[in-house]
Formats: sequence, structure tokens, C-alpha cells
Amino acid sequence: MAAPVPVQTPAGIEPAFDLAAYYPILIYAVVVVAFGLGTIAASHLTPFKPRKPTRVKQMPYESGMDPVGSARMQFDIKFYLIAILFLVFDVELLFLYPWAVLAYADGGDPTWKTVFGGVVFAEILVFLATLAIAYVYAWRKGVFQWR
Amino acid sequence: MPEFDPVYLAIVIVGLMGGVLGVVGYLTLAERKVSAWIQDRLGPNRVGPGGLLQPLADGGKFFLKEEVIPAHVDKVFYLLAPAVAVITSLLAIAVVPFGPTVAPPDPQPTVAAFEAAQAEYRNHFSFVMAPGLDVGVLYVFALGSLAVYGVILAGWSANNKYSLLGALRSSAQIISYEIPLGLSVLGVFLIVGSLNLEKITAWQADHRTWLVLVQPLAFLLFLVSAYAEGSRLPFDLPEAEQELVGGYHTEYSSMKLGLMLMAEYVHLVTAGFIVSILFWGGWGFFGLENLLTDPVGGAVLKAAILIGKMLVYCGFALLIRWTIPRFRFDQLMNIAWKVMIPLALLNLLCVMVVLQFGWPLVVLTGTSVLSFCGAGVLSVWLRGSVTNPKRPVRKLPPGLPAGVTYASR
Repeated sequence: MAAPVPVQTPAGIEPAFDLAAYYPILIYAVVVVAFGLGTIAASHLTPFKPRKPTRVKQMPYESGMDPVGSARMQFDIKFYLIAILFLVFDVELLFLYPWAVLAYADGGDPTWKTVFGGVVFAEILVFLATLAIAYVYAWRKGVFQWR
Repeated sequence: MPEFDPVYLAIVIVGLMGGVLGVVGYLTLAERKVSAWIQDRLGPNRVGPGGLLQPLADGGKFFLKEEVIPAHVDKVFYLLAPAVAVITSLLAIAVVPFGPTVAPPDPQPTVAAFEAAQAEYRNHFSFVMAPGLDVGVLYVFALGSLAVYGVILAGWSANNKYSLLGALRSSAQIISYEIPLGLSVLGVFLIVGSLNLEKITAWQADHRTWLVLVQPLAFLLFLVSAYAEGSRLPFDLPEAEQELVGGYHTEYSSMKLGLMLMAEYVHLVTAGFIVSILFWGGWGFFGLENLLTDPVGGAVLKAAILIGKMLVYCGFALLIRWTIPRFRFDQLMNIAWKVMIPLALLNLLCVMVVLQFGWPLVVLTGTSVLSFCGAGVLSVWLRGSVTNPKRPVRKLPPGLPAGVTYASR
């Protein structure tokens, strides 16, 4: 790998983004996928295990009873509501992450903080307030209530 | 160590996977031993001295047991689900340091200083598979969310009511607890100013403190969410044995069940490393880590400290599992949505204000303790009606219903 390329940013001179830093993860991913699939395949294909399927053994397990109806059943609307709320909060959270990393980091440009620090602080307060309003609304609507 | 070296990488991958799987194997043994000890039993003690070879025997048995694939399952997803579970959990450990690390250098004012800092950085050796990644913790959280797919695929494809209910509960629980998990550590990132785990460790070493002292409330929220994410008891609703048999892995047998269980323990190990690094100072231990000055001895000592902290976390999880009973599902959801999210937001707000006005970080310890105590007082005042609301109970009239009589002899 070549030496890192310097790039001028407001914070100073930093190394440019280099995809090479992610190569280990790619290689590791290949190894881990091979491990996961390989273990299942090896255990599936090995000749040293008994294979005696019977009709009863292949039924869905319902504590010894014969299964009643299909397992593809309807389920509570609560799960959908939780999923939607999760999307709202998680996206809000994702917006907060870049700010959290940059806002009070050392080594930044000091003039940037004196000029924009207060504005950013106020903006994040407004952002959190909208989040809080949505949260209170959901609570009052009874989304968090499990019956 | 940003230099990319395939041989080094191969050694790290093999060593790390072997190490993690070894720890996982012995965690299962420790779990059984601890449970036996708590319940006044002996536990596994036949295979090897004191049962020490039990994990190997278990692995062999998982491999050689009959593989029952029920006739009604969705075969592709059914076979894929354990692989997804174990792949996502193992992948998460790629950015997690498992020994002493050096933080990547800060931005420099001049090119010469930049070159010098980079050269200096490249001379050091970091015990991470992929060092110097800026996404750091975000990558771990992303793979933690992907773990939901393993669970929901397993539950859906098995075509079994217990599996489906377990998968639904589990996915609802995992996504609910992801929000407090992400919100609580935002304070840490604000203070440190980086997502990089090596930089977070270096910050704690430089400031001679542990972030758990600065952010006790965030630590508590993170700990609880991490247990819930890993479906450890008291949060193991997805596989509540008394209600759902085995939850989402009811229909699994042989090695596929083994992989599912292995994924859970790998989550525990990863969470242990993350907690140790984010809150317990990584490889630092109040200056004790600098006792050995030679490079090899020092590295071994620091790695031992970090791994020791991880094992303390795992041991704590074991003790909690066999001490605290399981929550009811509505209580579990109420804790995530009505208690932990507001507390995490409040904590974030405190950190923001303290950093904006440049107050000392000790204030944060105070606000954390105050918020925690305030939440406790509020809960007492409301008589627990937030997490455990009174539900209408329909009382039956006394005596037998009309027209029903006892069987006469």
C-alpha cells in the first residue's frame, strides 16, 4: 500500500479516504461467509450421522399435539407500529451521528466553532425538540401500550 | 499498523476466529458450571478433568447428531438463517481491538508534520484486524442490526407457530433496544469526537479516566441495551422456554442449532469488547498497564487487561442470567420506549450543554446520577405505572357457572 495522500481540510492536513483500509474487512467477510456456509454444508453432507426421517418427525413441533392450522398467521398490528417508530428514531439517530463526531472534536478550526458553534447548538436543540414532540405524540396515541 | 500485509492478516483472522470460538466454547461450559453452582448441582464433570473438554464433546455431538429438516419448511431460508446469524455476529468483531492499539494521528497543520505523524503511526502495531477505520463503532452497530435477519428468516421459514412468535418478539425487541443503544453512546462520541475505537481508548488513556466515570448513566443504558440486543436473560423473551419452547430455533437441530447458539455467544463477546473499550478504558488500568516496559511484555499485559475486562463482562452476564427472572413482554417494551429512550435523550442534552458552555466533565457525572435518581423517584411516585401499568382484570363470579355441576360419583 502506498503512503497516505495528504488532503487539506478545515481541520488541517489529513489522509485522503483510502478504500485500502477496508480490504481486511472484505477478506475477513469472505472467510467468515465460507465458514458459515461451509459448516452447514459439512454438517449436512457428512456420512457419519444417522438419517432416519419419519412422518411424525417431520411434522411441525407443537409440543406433541398434531398441528392445528397454518403457521402463516396474522399477528398484532403493534409489531408494525414498533417497526415504523424504529425507522423514525433510527433515522433521527443517524442524523445525529455526524454532528456528534464533528461538533466538539479537538483539532478543528477554532474560528469555525466561534462563528457556527452557537448556531449548530441551537439547530440541534430544535431537532431534538421535534423528536421529542413526535415522541410525546406517539405516547399519547398509545403506540407504546401493549395490551 | 495501516500497512496492508496478507500474511499478517491471515494470522490475525485465524487467531481471532480461533480465539473467539474458543472463548465461546468455554463460555458455554462456564454458563453450565455457574448455573450448576448457583442451583447447588455439580454441572458437567465427566468429559476431561472437571469437565474441561465438554465444549469439544458438545461441538462433536452437534456435528454428528441427526439433522431433522421438517417437511413443511422453506428450505433455502431455513438452511441460510443459521449462516446469516453466525456470519453477522462474527463479522462485527473485525474493527474491535483485542489488544494494545495506537490511535491514528490527528490532522496536522503542515505537510511535513503530516508525513512525520503518518510515518510514526506506521511504525506502531495495532491489535485490530482493520485498524484506523473512521466508522468504527457504527460498523459494529450496523452488523448488530443485520443480526435481525438471521432471527426473522429462521422464524419465518420454519413454518412453526412457536418459531414465528419467537422471531416476531425477538425482532421487535432487537429494534426497540437499538435506539437506546445508539442514543446512549452519542454522549461518548461527543466527548471524544470520534467513532474510532482506537481513538476512544487513547482519549481515556490521555485523560487518565474511564468514560464510565464521566458517563455512568450512558454506561448503564448501554449495558442493558447490549444484554437485550444479545437476547440474554432477563431479556430472553425470544426463546422463553416455558412459553415458546425454543423460540425462533424450535425447528433447528444438529449443527444449525449449534450455529444459532454460537452466534448468541459471539454477540456477548463482541459486546464485552465494546463495553470494555467505550467505558472501561480499553487496555488501560490506572497506569498498571505501563508496568512492563519492553514492547512484547507490555503488549501481552495490555492485551491481557483488555481480554480480562471482556471476561469480567461475560461473567457478569452469566451471573445476571441465573439471578434475575425474565420480564413480561409489555414490561420489556415499556422499559425500552418509556424509560431508556427519554433517559438517553436527557443524557445527550446534558452532554451537549456541558460541552457547549465548556464546563468541566465532572458535571456530567453529577447530571447522570441526578437523572438516574430522578427517574427512580418519579417511578416510585407513579407507583411503577409507567413500566407496569394496571390492566383491567375481569373477575369471575364465585361458584360454578350456571348449568355446570360437579360430577357425581
